[in-house]
Amino acid sequence: MERCAVIGVGQTKHAAKRDDLSMIGLVREAATRALEDAGLTFRDIDAVVIGKAPDMFEGVMMPELFLAEALGAVGKPMMRVHTAGSVGGSTAIVAAHLVSAGIHQRVLTVAYEKQSESDAMWALSPKYPFQPPLMAGAGGYFAPLIRAYIRRSNAPNDVGVRVAVKDRLNALKNPYAHLKMPEISAAQVEASPMLWDPIRYLETCPSSDGACAMVLSSETAARSAPHRPAWVHATATRSEPNLFAGRDQVNPRAGRDCAAALYKQAGITDPRKQLDAAEIYVPFSWFEPMWMENLGFAPEGEGWKMTLEGATALGGDMPINPSGGVMSSNPIGASGMLRFAEAALQVRGQAGEHQVEGAKLAMGHAYGGGSQFFAMWIVGDARP
Amino acid sequence: MALTAPYVLEYTYRRSVGPVVGQFLTGLRDQKFLGMKTSSGRILVPPPENDPETGETLSEMVAVGDAGVVTTWSWVSAPRKNHPLQKPFAWALVKLDGADTAMLHVVDVGEGGMEKMSTGMRVRARWKAERIGHVTDVACFEPESPQAVTR
Repeated sequence: MERCAVIGVGQTKHAAKRDDLSMIGLVREAATRALEDAGLTFRDIDAVVIGKAPDMFEGVMMPELFLAEALGAVGKPMMRVHTAGSVGGSTAIVAAHLVSAGIHQRVLTVAYEKQSESDAMWALSPKYPFQPPLMAGAGGYFAPLIRAYIRRSNAPNDVGVRVAVKDRLNALKNPYAHLKMPEISAAQVEASPMLWDPIRYLETCPSSDGACAMVLSSETAARSAPHRPAWVHATATRSEPNLFAGRDQVNPRAGRDCAAALYKQAGITDPRKQLDAAEIYVPFSWFEPMWMENLGFAPEGEGWKMTLEGATALGGDMPINPSGGVMSSNPIGASGMLRFAEAALQVRGQAGEHQVEGAKLAMGHAYGGGSQFFAMWIVGDARP
Repeated sequence: MALTAPYVLEYTYRRSVGPVVGQFLTGLRDQKFLGMKTSSGRILVPPPENDPETGETLSEMVAVGDAGVVTTWSWVSAPRKNHPLQKPFAWALVKLDGADTAMLHVVDVGEGGMEKMSTGMRVRARWKAERIGHVTDVACFEPESPQAVTR
């Protein structure tokens, strides 16, 4: 298997509305930045792998077809990946596999969502005949899972508030982040409206327009890259059905299996100790402690202690979402790739103000659907 | 019992056209067609944001004529209520003077019918009096007057 490196990273300035850009302009803002970082042009790219959330979100069917020219893919292989909210992560993994399988030297991978032009909330809640309408979007779906987590773990009520504040403070250090809330405080989060108990307004992610892109390359092609590459040490994806008897939706098996496969590939036995930073898909603040357990960073029932102890803060022993995470920018299709790309920026020493000092090994994580699709990777500053 | 029920999906969307198509549409408001010059020197109308061959960002917009040549067409003898004209007309690809690509619009031949249409014929835009920055600011194309042809 060929080694695969991240030699270029680009993202848009995420915002509620990027009315200054068409969908074409949005993906190009990220793609051209990734190419510039890699010192390449569209001509140097062998193939393009693109991902976004389901077509119903923006109402554009198979948008990869009209975006082919905009991504310099004319006459080249181009592939679309579909895995709901985890798609940004699995798209990057497909691109990485095209390199590690020795098929291509340089692959451009892109993910995006233009939520201002879409109707994500209602696209997730169609009124199917013969079923009572849920009409609650993602928050309504995940709120009972969070309640179940709080009951099982006896977590104090303010854990979600702490995560919400921590991620927004991190976002202040990230020039690309959507939410900029310099005055954010626990009191402000607690005072925000309860949307889906126990999820308050400020404990949810925003709706963002944004895109993310990376250039992945073989070891040979990485030699001529102008900046230090991030090396892909491990990739894993796992899925499980939305409903089956005995399914644990709070701590899904697909997530645990995915993490186990990932650590095995990367030679990791104690993730909290061995990883220097992680960008985890946390669209509702309570998912930070939940995923800490699912990913084996904390024993079951104790993920919330990491948050309360400050372990997940930028200065803590296991910084989670130093970029501000999904809680601060959520262009759905791109959110997973942003986690992967931010992990790469950390080990390249390119994360700027939100850099985890001396980060050598970092994890990117994405999940989608009803906590059922998982994609993860580990990148390092050294060759695997 | 086997049951069926209607299932209607209806969502509200928005669209932002971006700076290039935005300029094209604004041009129509001013009775002007704008094209984009590619790196190989071709003029594409309507204009794309990037070179379709190389992927490069394009920025050189140029005005083209509001008359041109029909490159292909299809006759609609019995228009329906959502058609742009409520009389027999042609859907046509029109290559405007100075452009290298043709754009889709409609041709109103005036008096007469399909016999007035031919590939290669010259047509000119008929602008609406009230224009809002939309492709329908051009009411239709119509055969160029004989004076214009012999000009």
